[in-house]
Amino acid sequence: MVDEFTQTLLGIMVAIIMLGMGASLTPRDFYLALKRPYGLGIGVISQYGIMPLLGFMMAVFLVVPEPIAIGILIMACMPGGTTSNIFTYFSKGNLALSVLMTVTSTVTGVILIPIILLLYASALDLDIPREDIVRVLIVLLVPVAIGMGLRKLNANVGAVIEFCGALLALFFIAFIMVTWVPQNWQFLLNTTPATYVAAIGLGLVGITLGYLFATALKLHPRNARTVALETGIQNGPLAIAIIVFTFPPDQQQAIMAVPALYSLFIVIVSTLVTLFFRRANTAAEQKMPDSLL
Amino acid sequence: MEHPDRPWTAFYRAGARVEITTPAYRNLADLIGSVTASYGRAPAFTCCLPNGMNGTLSFAQVDAMSDAMAAYLRDVAGLKMGDRVAVQMPNCLSFPIAAFGVFKAGCVLVNVNPLYTAEEMARQFEDARPHALIIMDMFADKLPQATAGHPIPNVIITRVAEFLPAMPRGIVGLVQKYWDKSVKRIDTPHIRLPAALAAGRARIAADKIAVAAYHQEVAGDDVAVLQYTGGTTGVSKGAMLTHANLILNMEQTMELIEGVENGVEKGREVALTALPLYHIFAFTVNLLGFYWLGARNILIPNPRPLSNLKRAFENYKITWMSGVNTLFNGLTNEIWFRDSPPKHLKFASAGGMALQTSVAETWERITGAPVIQGYGLTETSPVLTFEPLGKARAGSIGVPVPSTEIICLDEVGNPVPQGQPGEIAARGPQIMKGYWEKPEETAKTMRGDWFLTGDIGVMDPDGYVRIVDRKKDMILVSGFNVYPNEVEDVLAAHPGVLEAAVIGVPDTEAGEAVKAYIVASDPGLKADALRAYCKEHLTGYKVPKLFEFRDELPKSNVGKILRKDLRAEALADIAAE
Repeated sequence: MVDEFTQTLLGIMVAIIMLGMGASLTPRDFYLALKRPYGLGIGVISQYGIMPLLGFMMAVFLVVPEPIAIGILIMACMPGGTTSNIFTYFSKGNLALSVLMTVTSTVTGVILIPIILLLYASALDLDIPREDIVRVLIVLLVPVAIGMGLRKLNANVGAVIEFCGALLALFFIAFIMVTWVPQNWQFLLNTTPATYVAAIGLGLVGITLGYLFATALKLHPRNARTVALETGIQNGPLAIAIIVFTFPPDQQQAIMAVPALYSLFIVIVSTLVTLFFRRANTAAEQKMPDSLL
Repeated sequence: MEHPDRPWTAFYRAGARVEITTPAYRNLADLIGSVTASYGRAPAFTCCLPNGMNGTLSFAQVDAMSDAMAAYLRDVAGLKMGDRVAVQMPNCLSFPIAAFGVFKAGCVLVNVNPLYTAEEMARQFEDARPHALIIMDMFADKLPQATAGHPIPNVIITRVAEFLPAMPRGIVGLVQKYWDKSVKRIDTPHIRLPAALAAGRARIAADKIAVAAYHQEVAGDDVAVLQYTGGTTGVSKGAMLTHANLILNMEQTMELIEGVENGVEKGREVALTALPLYHIFAFTVNLLGFYWLGARNILIPNPRPLSNLKRAFENYKITWMSGVNTLFNGLTNEIWFRDSPPKHLKFASAGGMALQTSVAETWERITGAPVIQGYGLTETSPVLTFEPLGKARAGSIGVPVPSTEIICLDEVGNPVPQGQPGEIAARGPQIMKGYWEKPEETAKTMRGDWFLTGDIGVMDPDGYVRIVDRKKDMILVSGFNVYPNEVEDVLAAHPGVLEAAVIGVPDTEAGEAVKAYIVASDPGLKADALRAYCKEHLTGYKVPKLFEFRDELPKSNVGKILRKDLRAEALADIAAE
């Protein structure tokens, strides 16, 4: 896992990154996403419909010990994470929709997560730490709002903050990969293949299913990319916080395996998916004659 | 060839002048000065980059900086009145400084397409023989090759983020140098634009130079701009546009859109300039016209991909824009544009190529603002006709602007009966003085004081004109002229090509696309290889989009390749699909 200092550092980085992301947005982007809540609705359905079902199937079909299975289920039921916003930004997706989806899934999660767990785990009684939910929302929304405000105040300040935010985001992605692996080397060696399959598959299959679902419902590719990333990218830290809150210390380690592993691999998977999405976006761009311009 | 009367003037706005023959200013330098007096500290130009980084110059700043530019050219570089100065850059804050500085110096501006290859630049430099060149750093690596035949004594280098605040300027500079590597090493001796301006400013301060003296002698009839065009034959030549040509054409155009309901108002507009200022359409209408109007001009260095325009539309309340069919069509296909169309747009102006009715309708449906079409050529400064605001007629290029006459002529040069198609000939104060040092080319295209456009048109009884065909083989790719001869010459020079013929075919994106028919001597020759080869020698828009390999080409009995037969074949194929 990661130590407290790194955790705090990551939190601060995310806040600064979101400031930059916010500077790329205008209130109208949010207005448009809210005006046509179709995309948002599809997002919530894929978040709490597809992912828990996927997690349940994995828990059943992969032969894993019970604590691991619980970890898979918890991870699958989590709302979207802030990282999804970062990857949506780089994927040229609909960032406003992504932010709104994260907010919606986080807020509705308070009610939906227990209901879903009731369905799949016959009332696995989880304590959902409210302050963590609130913290997620604050870390997400406050910087975004400030970023939007700064851009409105001065377009150059906005553009510079966005540029710096994007640079920091790239660093953030590299930072997670570089720091996580050495700190958890022993853990990586001791983890069983089935756990790996669950931790990697949850994100990868989730993104794929989210994309297919959104595309089947005729969402614009830009919004489909957003729904895909939002579906597959879960809030890992929240899952870990919930586990710490709910389970006795001797059980925590085993249950946490999937969420911890997931948190690393989702960054790798999302990076690859983002590269793919960017290429698709460029290919779909309208070709303008050289000089007409 | 007298035209009976001008019924179309009935469509002008109430109170519009029917005759505009005497320019309101002695020369362009005077025009620039007088605008500054009215708008001073108001923003004149804002350069908006794709990521939203921007820089703004006020009217007063543009005035002072172009004074310094003029002082540099005349008193530091030692140019004389009438010397040519080439300006080669995309839209950026340096463009107005350079162009206005040249006018104030009493020199002649030579607009050069920044996307030209070194060979194309060399041809233009050899013809225009500029004494100075103001060029953007991104294109300066072509200079050694381009100036081999004609060395240019003064080279001034600018950059896309010039005059932006330090932070964004620095970021853009670093990105260009280390990330996209768009700026290469410059081996040609040069001075940077800010240094040139500083030198000019110092000269003004030290010697108490009155910049007005540079252009004191410049009269309306003097050449202001050499605007290069392939003209009728494809031989690259400079249309000599005088100060009066440009001022009058700007007035002729503005007369019909200012002071009319939903028209433009002095000092209140925000204009989007996504078309390149080195093209005559944007030069006269956007640069001169909207500066004169006291508008804030949002300059877009590169509108490709179209998402580059998103921040400009989000951050500025665009009230007017100009474009070509390709641009309007492209924007209406962008999801971000359809989601948030410009709310403050009054209308848009189209030129350069035929505006498709479907595109105009879609545009109006999405933005709620009409797009009105104009027509003209480089040689006519450029505007000849314009759709009267609120009185557009589908498929028409509008009615002649004030003091402009249009007639349609038959093959031998007699006016055709009303309603019959004929070659459009135009007469008015915006017709060029002639082609630079090419009197025989001028003679070919002028009949008395009538300019022959090479376009076949029909005029309605009330004066609306429609274009039905083109007399010349010229191909019009989204507003840019492509001459088959030039492309064929390049193709024929390829060792694997025996014969080549080039025609224009209808294209949904660009209006027309260049299609090449090739008789290959090398059986292994592939279209991709030819395309790559063409890209080395020709600007992108001239590179054929379509290649077709043939065993032989249709020829006349004297062996001339019959492009018209190929064209008829291509059109029949399209009709059959």
